[in-house]
Amino acid sequence: MSEDLDNTLRKALRRVDPGEDFTARVLARVAAEARSESSGDMRSANRSVSRLVWLPVALAASLVLAVVVTYEWQARRERAGLEARDQVIEALRVTSEKLDLAYQIVNSPPPSRTPDDAGA
Amino acid sequence: MKIATKCFAVPFLWAVLSLPALAAPLPGRLLLPDFSALGPKATESVSITLDAPLLATAARFLDGGDPDQRAVKDMIGGLRGIYVKSYTFEKAFAYATADIDAVRKQLATPGWQQIVQVRSGKPQTAVDIFVFQVQGESGGLAIIATEPREFTIVNIVGAIDLDKLHKLEGRFGIPKLPSTAGAGVQNPAK
Repeated sequence: MSEDLDNTLRKALRRVDPGEDFTARVLARVAAEARSESSGDMRSANRSVSRLVWLPVALAASLVLAVVVTYEWQARRERAGLEARDQVIEALRVTSEKLDLAYQIVNSPPPSRTPDDAGA
Repeated sequence: MKIATKCFAVPFLWAVLSLPALAAPLPGRLLLPDFSALGPKATESVSITLDAPLLATAARFLDGGDPDQRAVKDMIGGLRGIYVKSYTFEKAFAYATADIDAVRKQLATPGWQQIVQVRSGKPQTAVDIFVFQVQGESGGLAIIATEPREFTIVNIVGAIDLDKLHKLEGRFGIPKLPSTAGAGVQNPAK
């Protein structure tokens, strides 16, 4: 049993001749991997550059959005304020008009009494 | 544990107890009926609802450097609300007098005092002016003016100074009363 295992291991780990083109294949593989790594670096660099380009664009867009929102908010606030101011003036005008009406009625001359009214 | 309960319970109790106070209408504030259904029938309508925050906003947009606007700013400074409902119709008595009577009933409650009541036969015009007094100081004003083809209800909440209102006459289209204004006004309280 133990001998079988030894034999199997020996067989599996025996020396094998890699062939004459082994060196050439290894060099070719190394060169191919080097090319692949170099193109990966380029892609990564390109990605970083595109990120750097979009960052100021995104910042500028955020800034423009913030300015627009603030402007719109202020414009709405101003419209509401001016509307409230006009309503105050209109309310005071109506109030004063009715006070004036009361004054006019009080100060209007009393209706002249006809002889019929006096019971004559 | 007990301290934590107390810390939580006191503000909670305070909040619960203050709820009715928050829900209660402001002293001097009238509950005006919803007249919006009259809008289509009216030839002219004015509906103004200005609560304290809106009055504060309006005050910010009044130019303190302009004497006219400054006068308005001074006047609304002590106010907590202005409510106006005014409708004019083509036909006489197109509005329900019951709605007006409902407002009059509110003015029969303690605090309100009628200072002016005028009636005119032709056309049938009535103007009633009430003030709301809080510990001897003005806390509001109400005006009910009815004519066959129009009615107006004004409710101003807060310390209204009629002298300041008088100073506004002749400005912003506010009618100018003669300098003896109020001298001949009937006072039903007397």
